[in-house]
Parts: sequence; C-alpha cells; structure tokens
Amino acid sequence: MTKKDKKSFHQSLAEWKLFLYNPTTGAFLGRTAKSWGLILLFYLVFYGFLAALFTFTMWVMLQTLNDEVPKYRDQISSPGLTVFPKPVTALEYSFSVSEPESYKGYIEDLKKFLTPYASEAQKNLKVCTDGALSEQKGPVYEACQFPLNLLEACSGENDPEFGYSQGHPCILVKMNRIIGLKPQGQPRIECTGNSKASYLQPLVAVQLNYTASSTPKEVTVECKIVGSKNLKNYDDRDKFLGRVAFKITMRA
Amino acid sequence: MGQKTPRIYSVELNGAKDMKQTDKGDGKDKYRGLQDNCLELRNNQRQEHLTKEIDLDDHKLSNKELETKYHTNIVTGLSSTQAAELLARDGPNALSPPKETPEIIKFLKQMVGGFSILLWAGAILCWIAYGIQYSSDKSSSLDNVYLGTVLALVVILTGIFAYYQEAKSTNIMASFSKMIPQQALVIRDSEKKIIPAEQLVVGDIVEIKGGDQIPADIRLLFAQGCKVDNSSLTGESEPQSRSCEFTHDDPLETKNIGFYSTTCLEGTATGMVINTGDRTIIGQIASLASGVGNEKTPIAIEIKHFVHIVAGVAISIGVLFFIIAVSMKYRVLDSIIFLIGIIVANVPEGLLATVTVTLSLTAKRMAKKNCLVKNLEAVETLGSTSIICSDKTGTLTQNRMTVAHLWFDNQIFMADTSEDQLKQTFDQSSGTWASLSKIIALCNRAEFRPGQERVPIMKRVVVGDASETALLKFSEVVLGDVMEIRKRNHKVAEIPFNSTNKFQLSIHKTDDPIDKRFLMVMKGAPEKVLEKCSTIMVNGQEQPLNNSTAEAFYTAYMELGGLGERVLGFCHLYLPADEFPETYSFDVDAMNFPMSDLCFVGLLSMIDPPRSTVPDAITKCRSAGIKVIMVTGDHPITAKAIAKSVGIISANSETVEDIAKRLNIAVEQVNKQDAKAAVVTGMELKDMSEDQLDEVLTSYPEIVFARTSPQQKLIIVEGCQRQDAVVAVTGDGVNDSPALKKADIGIAMGIAGSDAAKNAADMVLLDDNFASIVTGVEEGRLIFDNLKKTIAYTLTKNIAELCPFLIYIIVGVPLPLGTITILFIDLGTDIVPSIALAYEKAESDIMNRKPRHKKEDRLVNKPLAVYSYLHIGIMQSLGAFLVYFTVYAQEGFRPSTLINLRVEWEKDSVNNLEDSYGQEWTRYQRKYLEWTGYTAFFIGIMVQQIADLIIRKTRRNSIFQQGLFRNKVIWVGIASQIIIALILSYGLGSITALNFTMLRPQYWFVAVPHAILIWVYDEVRKLFIRLYPGSWWDKNMYY
Repeated sequence: MTKKDKKSFHQSLAEWKLFLYNPTTGAFLGRTAKSWGLILLFYLVFYGFLAALFTFTMWVMLQTLNDEVPKYRDQISSPGLTVFPKPVTALEYSFSVSEPESYKGYIEDLKKFLTPYASEAQKNLKVCTDGALSEQKGPVYEACQFPLNLLEACSGENDPEFGYSQGHPCILVKMNRIIGLKPQGQPRIECTGNSKASYLQPLVAVQLNYTASSTPKEVTVECKIVGSKNLKNYDDRDKFLGRVAFKITMRA
Repeated sequence: MGQKTPRIYSVELNGAKDMKQTDKGDGKDKYRGLQDNCLELRNNQRQEHLTKEIDLDDHKLSNKELETKYHTNIVTGLSSTQAAELLARDGPNALSPPKETPEIIKFLKQMVGGFSILLWAGAILCWIAYGIQYSSDKSSSLDNVYLGTVLALVVILTGIFAYYQEAKSTNIMASFSKMIPQQALVIRDSEKKIIPAEQLVVGDIVEIKGGDQIPADIRLLFAQGCKVDNSSLTGESEPQSRSCEFTHDDPLETKNIGFYSTTCLEGTATGMVINTGDRTIIGQIASLASGVGNEKTPIAIEIKHFVHIVAGVAISIGVLFFIIAVSMKYRVLDSIIFLIGIIVANVPEGLLATVTVTLSLTAKRMAKKNCLVKNLEAVETLGSTSIICSDKTGTLTQNRMTVAHLWFDNQIFMADTSEDQLKQTFDQSSGTWASLSKIIALCNRAEFRPGQERVPIMKRVVVGDASETALLKFSEVVLGDVMEIRKRNHKVAEIPFNSTNKFQLSIHKTDDPIDKRFLMVMKGAPEKVLEKCSTIMVNGQEQPLNNSTAEAFYTAYMELGGLGERVLGFCHLYLPADEFPETYSFDVDAMNFPMSDLCFVGLLSMIDPPRSTVPDAITKCRSAGIKVIMVTGDHPITAKAIAKSVGIISANSETVEDIAKRLNIAVEQVNKQDAKAAVVTGMELKDMSEDQLDEVLTSYPEIVFARTSPQQKLIIVEGCQRQDAVVAVTGDGVNDSPALKKADIGIAMGIAGSDAAKNAADMVLLDDNFASIVTGVEEGRLIFDNLKKTIAYTLTKNIAELCPFLIYIIVGVPLPLGTITILFIDLGTDIVPSIALAYEKAESDIMNRKPRHKKEDRLVNKPLAVYSYLHIGIMQSLGAFLVYFTVYAQEGFRPSTLINLRVEWEKDSVNNLEDSYGQEWTRYQRKYLEWTGYTAFFIGIMVQQIADLIIRKTRRNSIFQQGLFRNKVIWVGIASQIIIALILSYGLGSITALNFTMLRPQYWFVAVPHAILIWVYDEVRKLFIRLYPGSWWDKNMYY
C-alpha cells in the first residue's frame, strides 16, 4: 500500500503537470487550443440560444400581465394590519415621558409616515364621501383624499409630539393596501385594551389616555378589523392578518 | 502402432495406471502448491503448523501402533466414556464455519461504503449548519435538521434493505448445506452404532460403504473394492481405489487414508478416525481461503469514482459561491451556511436507494435464471467479465458418462448424447448389434435403485461406477427393461473389473430355452479384449480375425480415443454345451473356462458429453469478447476434445502440437504465431515463470489447462488479473475456494459445489450450467448501461435543484425551491422513474461488444457529467425558473421587483412589503407565496424530468428506434411522478409543514415547451452521434 502511494504521488504530480500543459500535444488543461476553441464556441452558441429562449419566454409571460392590476390576488385576499411608528423590537414601544430622546425616533417615524398625507400632497385627489365605495375601471385612476384632521390629536397638526410628551402616545394602525379589495359590510378597526381608540379608514390612530398616574405603565393593545365578512381578522399562522397587537411601556 | 498405444490406453476404462503416473508427478506438485499458498497467505507460524499437521504419519503405522497411539481397540472400538472425554477435548467433528463476519458488522458495512459516505457527510454538514444557525438565531428554521435526518434515514433504510437482500441469498445458500445431518456407523463399546458424524472422535472405528461420505480423516484398516472420489480435495475426477496398505510416504498419496468430505463410491471399508473437524486435511485447506483478500468489485470502484466526481463538483461550486458570497458582503457565518447548503444540494439523496434496488432487481432476475448472487455488487461484475476460467466437469459437461459412439460391422455409429435422450436412432438391424447389446446389458454390475419406474431413464439413480451407469442407461434406452433381461439370462459366474486384468467378465444362462449353452460376455480395455479374440463378428456372422480386420479395429479405436472418449471393447463366447453342461460349476479363481478364441463384437466409447446449451453459450461469449479458458483436472486429450466440441477451441484453430503433426515437423519448429489454441498441462504450468504464463495467456486466444490441480487455478487467475482482466472463476471443490476468492467474481456450483466453495464465491450457479453464466453476463452488462442512465437521470435535476439556491444567493430573489421540496423530488417523484430505467432493454446487442475496459469505460464519465449538469440540467433550470417567475409575476411580484428583495422578504417584522403594484404583503402571506413558488418550481422540474426520463431510455438510438412503449415500467414511473405531484399539491396542500400549496392548473404546463425542447435537443444529439461516429460531437456528447 505504501509502495503504491509513494509511486502514485510522484506519478500524480507528473500527471498533473502534463494535464496543465502537455508540450507534445500542446494541450492545455487536457484540451488543445483548437479543442478549447470548439468547446467554447459550442457553449457560446448553446448558452446564447438558451438565454435568448429564456428571455423570449419571459417576455411572452410578461405580456400576460396588466400594468395596473395584478393578474391574481388570491394570495392576499384579506389585508394585514401594520402599525406606525415602527417599534424597535417586536411590536413593543417603550419610552419615558420625561426623556424626549427616548421617543424622538417614534415621532420622527410618524412624521415621515404622515408626510404624504399632508393636505398639500393630497390636493389633487378626489374628495370622496365618507364610507362610500369608490370603484374605478381605469384607464385613469383617481384616489380619494384622506384628510389628516380625521386623526384628530394624532394628526400631528396640533401636537407635533403626537402626545408622547404628555403621556398620551399615538400609534397609527394601517390596513395593508390590496388592489381591488371590496370590503363587504361596514368594516372598522376595533382596538381593545385600556385605551381610547378612534378608528378611521384607512388609517387609525390609537391614543393612549392614561388616567391613573402610577408609573411605569404597561398596556397591551390589540386591534382588529371587524364588521366585514370578507376581511378576516383571525388566522392561525398569520398574526397580522386583519389584526395587530402591540405593547406600550411608558415610564414617567 | 505400438508407440501410440499408451496414449490411447490412457483414456480407457478406469485408467488406473495412468492415474498412478500422474500421482507420482502431479500429485506431489499438488501438495507443494498447497504449501506455496500457505507461504503467501499465512504467516510463518501458521504455515509451520499446517506443514506439521499434514506430516501425519498414521499411514505408516501398523494397526497395533495405531491402537496404542489412539488408545483404542480395532475390534471393540472406544468406550462411550472415552469418546465423550475426547469429544469434550477436541470439540465436534465439523468444519468450523469460515470466520463469519458478525451480523452487526455486515449490517454496519452496508452503511459506510461508497454512496453512504457521501450521504453521511451531507447529513453531518446539515447538522453543523443548523448548529451555526442556531447559535446566531435561536428561532432558525429546522429545515437543515430535517434534511440531515432524512439523509441519515436514507442511508440506514437502504442499508437495512441491502442487508436484508444479501441475508436472503445467504439463506438460500444455507438451505443447500442444511442437508440431512450426516450419520456415521461407528463401533463403540463393541457395538455398532449409528451416531451423527459430528460426534466422532479420534480413535473411533467407523465403517463406510459405497455412497457414504467419509465422515472424518480415517486410516483404513480393512477395505474391499473401495473406491473414493477425491475430487473435492484434489480436483481429480477419476475414482481412486483405497486399500489398507501403506503405498506412499505422502499422506495425500497413500492409499490407506480416506479424507473427510470425500465420497466412497463403491466397496466397503473400515477405518480408524485419525483427525476430526478443522484438523482434517480439508479443514486446513478450507481455512486457507479466508486468507485470500476479497477483490473490490468493479461497481464499487465505479461508485467510488462517481462519489469523487460528485464531491468534486459539490466542493468546487460550494467554494466558488462561498467566495462570491463573502465578496458580496454576506456575513461569513451565512456564507458558511451557503457553502454547506450547496454541498448538500449536490448529494443525490435518492441514488443510493435506486442503485441498491436496481441491483437487487437484477439479482432477482438473475436468480430466476439460476445465478444466485450473494453480493449485490457482484451483479455488475459479471457484466464486465473479460475472462471466464471454467471447470469442465459438470459445468461445461453433463457430469455423467454417456455412450457417444459405437463401432461394429466396421462402421462407427454415433449415439445421441443430449440430456434427455429417449431413443437411439442409429441402425440397429444388424445381427452384430443384437449380440453387442446383449453383452452391454449383461456384462454390467450397475443397477437402478428400486422404485424409480416413473423417473425418466436419464434421471434415475444408479448404484455403480460412471461407465457402468452409462452403459446401463444406454441399454435401458435401447433394449427396455435391462433388469428383466438380466433375470432371464441368469448370471452364474462373474469376474469384476480390476486394474490388472482390465476386463470384466460374466457367464450367463441364456434366455433361449432351446440353446442350453452358457454365454460368456466380456468387456474391457479394447486391446486386452482383442488379445483374447480369434474371430470378429461382422453383420452377425463370425469371421476369423485377420490383419485387415485388426487394422480396422485399431483405426476405429484410435479415432474414438482421439475424440477424448473412453473406449471399451466387447466380446463374447458361447461355451460348447458338451464341455460345459448345465450343471457345470464355474470357478472364477481357478478360471475353469476358456479365456481365448473369443469372438470380438464391437467397440463402444463414452464421454462426459457437453451440455447441449454450452456450445451456444461459448459462441455468445466469444462474440461478447469474453475469453473462455477451460481449467480441468482431466486428461489433455479429453479436455481438448470437449473444448473442441463446445467451441472453446474453435473448429479451425490448431495447437502447436496439431500443426507439428499436420506438417510432420518437430514441435519446436512450429511458428508459435500460427497456433491460436493451446493446451497447457499442469506439469508444464508448474515449470512456467510468471512471464511465461503471461505470454501464454496473451498470445493464445483459446486456452485449455488440463491436469491442473485446484491450487494452480489460483496461479492462472492471478495471471489473468495481471492482464487487467476481470476474471470470473467457476469452482466446486474446497480447494477451489482460494481461486474463487481471488477472482473478481467467484462462481460456485450449486449442486456439485462444496460449502467452502459456495462460501468463498460471490455467486452460485443453481444448475451448475455454464450457459447460466452467459445470461448472467448479459444481465450484468445491461445493468451497467442502465445504471448509467439512472445516474444521468438523477444528476440532471441536481443542477435544477442547485441553481435556485445559487440565484437566491447572487440575485437575492426569494428562495425558489425549499429543502423539503428538494427531498420530495429526490426521494419522491424521482425514485420510481429511476428504478424504471433498470427495466430498459438493451439498445443494441450488448453481447456483441467487447467487455468494458476496467479503467477506461467508467460508469460515470466526463461526457455524462457534463451533459447532465451543463446541458439538460441548465435547460431544466431555465424551464423551472420560468414557472417560478410566472407565478410570482402573476401574483404581483414582477421579476424586476424580486431582485435583491431577499432581505426585506425574509424580515419577520416587515408586514407591509410592497409588490410591483403597491399591494402590501404580511410576512405570512409572503411565506405562503414563497411556498407556492416552491411548488411551482417543483412542478417545473417534475414536468421536465418526464422528458429527461424519456430521453434517458437510450444513449445512442433514437427513442423511436427503441420504442416509446416497450418498457412499460417507464410509464409506471411517469404516472407515479404525476400522481405524487398531484397529491403533494392538491392533496396535502393544506399541510404547510411540507411547504406545498395548491397550484393553478395552468402552471403545470408552463414548463412543457422546455420539456419538449429537451427531448428534441437530445434527439438531435443522438442523431449526430449516429451520423458522425468518432467525431468531435461523438467524443464530447456520448456518455
């Protein structure tokens, strides 16, 4: 065995050298220049053809799509709920009323989120009647205005600190956008927990209104879409389908 | 004429003198060969031990000395107490089974070879990957754990399956050896007792008679007409007589020793047990075999080679993408996970199971054709066989003497020698025939065992030696009830055959009521018989024997002898009634009857004829490029004759000796290049050097080794292996076992084979028929081709399974294909189809091509890997990606949006990820879409694997030449793929643990154009290969 190994070591070294470059045949890595040329040419043509074919089939596939409306919406039949500001850790807000630094991030996040809702930005949009469904067929699509003042104290118009400095923090709950979703019935978002909630479509602001002064306060809020048959608010695996739960911890 | 006589003489009935001659030369050599082997195989200590054991001197001792040595009494035997003590001391008289590997080791061995290593490595890497993931993120997905566990399970289950398969054939083997427990008639406490042979101890006095197996090594104390068959020990097929005289210094040669496991053919004998169990000569030889290493099977080498390729590809791609990932600023830990993922994705999970099942299916098919395969891997070995070293007796021949030719009325008649002769068709009208047939029937001591009237004549059991059996069966076929004829022609006196007289004689009352004369009939060595004759019968008339008739006799005798047949002469004499009245009392010792002036009637020759299927099988071997070498203990003339009649030496080829004879020149003057055939005797072989043997093996395409000992078989096998040949060896004797082990595939005879031979062999021929080997070769070659197809089929989708992961890493699209989904392809939809390829018929006559070259025709070669990975594999990936992108795009994520979406996509906190239309997706909704993507990719691969399966049916021919519907199992495979996919998508769609979702029916057809493209492309490939053989295309594209 050892004899064989020794032999094979020298041999394999020589074989490798010969494989790298064989001076007699002029072969480099086992192929001559001509052979390399042929094989490269073949793969160039072959893969070129495959690439063209793939591009063509993809193009054909993309022709089946509509620019405005996705072909199928079966996988998002029901919207999820998301909250703003984005909590740092998993849906837990924690801040201290007396330390502006601790909630500065939340306020900025909210401001950023609400910028597109500013009256200036929405002025080209249609004014719709509250609660009525506005169905559109295109080709020109119009969106309804969402007056920011609907959010009352949480609109940021009166209180640029969204109540955080007073110990009444605002959390916005938003329903995910789904194209062509027609809610049946009178959908609304209901939040439970010791909080005061004002619901509005599509944004809901939750302002915590603590009465007791004992600190720190911890409160868990769960918001749900209710009042619509086709908007689910419970799914075993999807914790955000038509509902959202978050926790607020507030220190003095 | 006189010169020639000895040569003819040597083939006549019971050639005892000839036997002695070879005993003197060859026999010693046999013994030496045995010792040589010891030197090679065992360490010195063991060898000394063996030499000492064989140097037993009991044959030189007198009965008295023996009694003292073994504390026994020849008349009363041992006492029961003595025997019990000795039994306790020496252990039972049985060969300890060859060092059987413990079952658990056998079982574990199934789990570590070849493929299994690959899977184990994969499993361990998976667990490591999970460990890394877990250490950084406690909630990481368990996919890697599942994958690792599944890999381990696959190895274990396949191991259990393979173990079970092999255990099954071992059990069939065991049923052979479990014959009726052997009994021995022993004298103990002055009483004759029948005890199991296992309980014999040294010093026991045993009695044996014709038909018994000798129960231990015994020193004969008394023998009467005892003959033994030592073939299992020495390979000598001739019966050897035994007596109680010390005739030779060598215990193997002396006549007064009987060896364990040899058979007593006739006569009776009493002997003293001198060795039991493993201490017997045969026990020592049997233990030699375990010293010869088992050669690695060619398929094991191929699989190792394949594992190297797969591992090479896996590690190269893995490392390449590790570097890419690191340079793309992935975290190193993540990159390591990717690296492991890529390596594991390359492991063909299903292949181990498929190959094992495929091999065992073939093993089953072969077992039906009487080849029982002990080791699954040996299935293929037979297919790559390039040299078969075959025994003659029993394998090539029917292993029974049969009347082949008759000579009477100056004419040679041919008799039917086929296996199931019902009648003889030669001209039987002559009066000479009537006399001859009478002599044949009467001058014969063999008898049918009673109660076999319904058994076909050829299959009846006969008590008597081989020649007499042949004559008895012959006359039974020709004349009808021989026993009745003998009864009617009452025998009054008889001289049995013995080696000094070389004739057999009996005197009968005739069945002719008018003719009161006695009929004296005689048969024997032709020239001895002719000496006693003065007349010869021609056309029923007695004529004086003159020179011309004598010459005719010699010509016929020479001709028959030259055919390697055993020739007997027959004569008779009607004793004159006046000299020998009815009441005459014949005395065989005083010989009170005439022994000259008899009437010569005819000659009859016998041979152990070739099996009728053998010549055809040899022709097949020849066209398949397999060299068939005959290795026999028989006489060169007989061996050559049989070799010629079965085609091992073809009709127009000559040996050096033939040429010398034809040209009438000396053997040395013959140009050796002219001779195609060679007959080499054991004596010549003994004096040959390795190089000389190599030269013989390479320069003659047709070789017969005659008069060889089983030990020399090992030398021949090694010689063949030096030529890089894959050697198959047949054998039955205990002494064959080293050669059987040394051979690449040892083939033991199921009927005639000894247990030791069967143990050493890889395969057992259930019917002892050479032709079965050829069907085995065919199956073996087919399985090699089909395994290629299976592997090509399996490797293809590996790329389609790997690409998604690579694209995921590089482009950052949501993962297109999940780990569990991959497992469902590898171990679900693809299993039945890849097994179905094992049922594929051969593309061309596989028996018309040369055996594959061990080192050049690999199972998995470069074109196979390249074509599977870089051609079909890439096409398949594109097709599957098309389905994937279609699903995502139609759900709202256009391909452009998907790029670099990976990080956001996988964030659990992002529950409002926007698609191309601004719709917002929660994490779970995305996950569900991802699973739909998995399912889509899975269906894409599955649809194209159907095309892949169809194209893999052939490697060169068009599918339409092969027949799309000839292999029905392929369609079962396709159906299984579709059904499994349907169940996974629609039946288990709600079980999210499996990551399958309901897929819109139209997505099933997205990849169909790609599937058709694959088929068309492969047809084009095959077309160019057929059109331009040897071209650049052929070299690069034919796998």
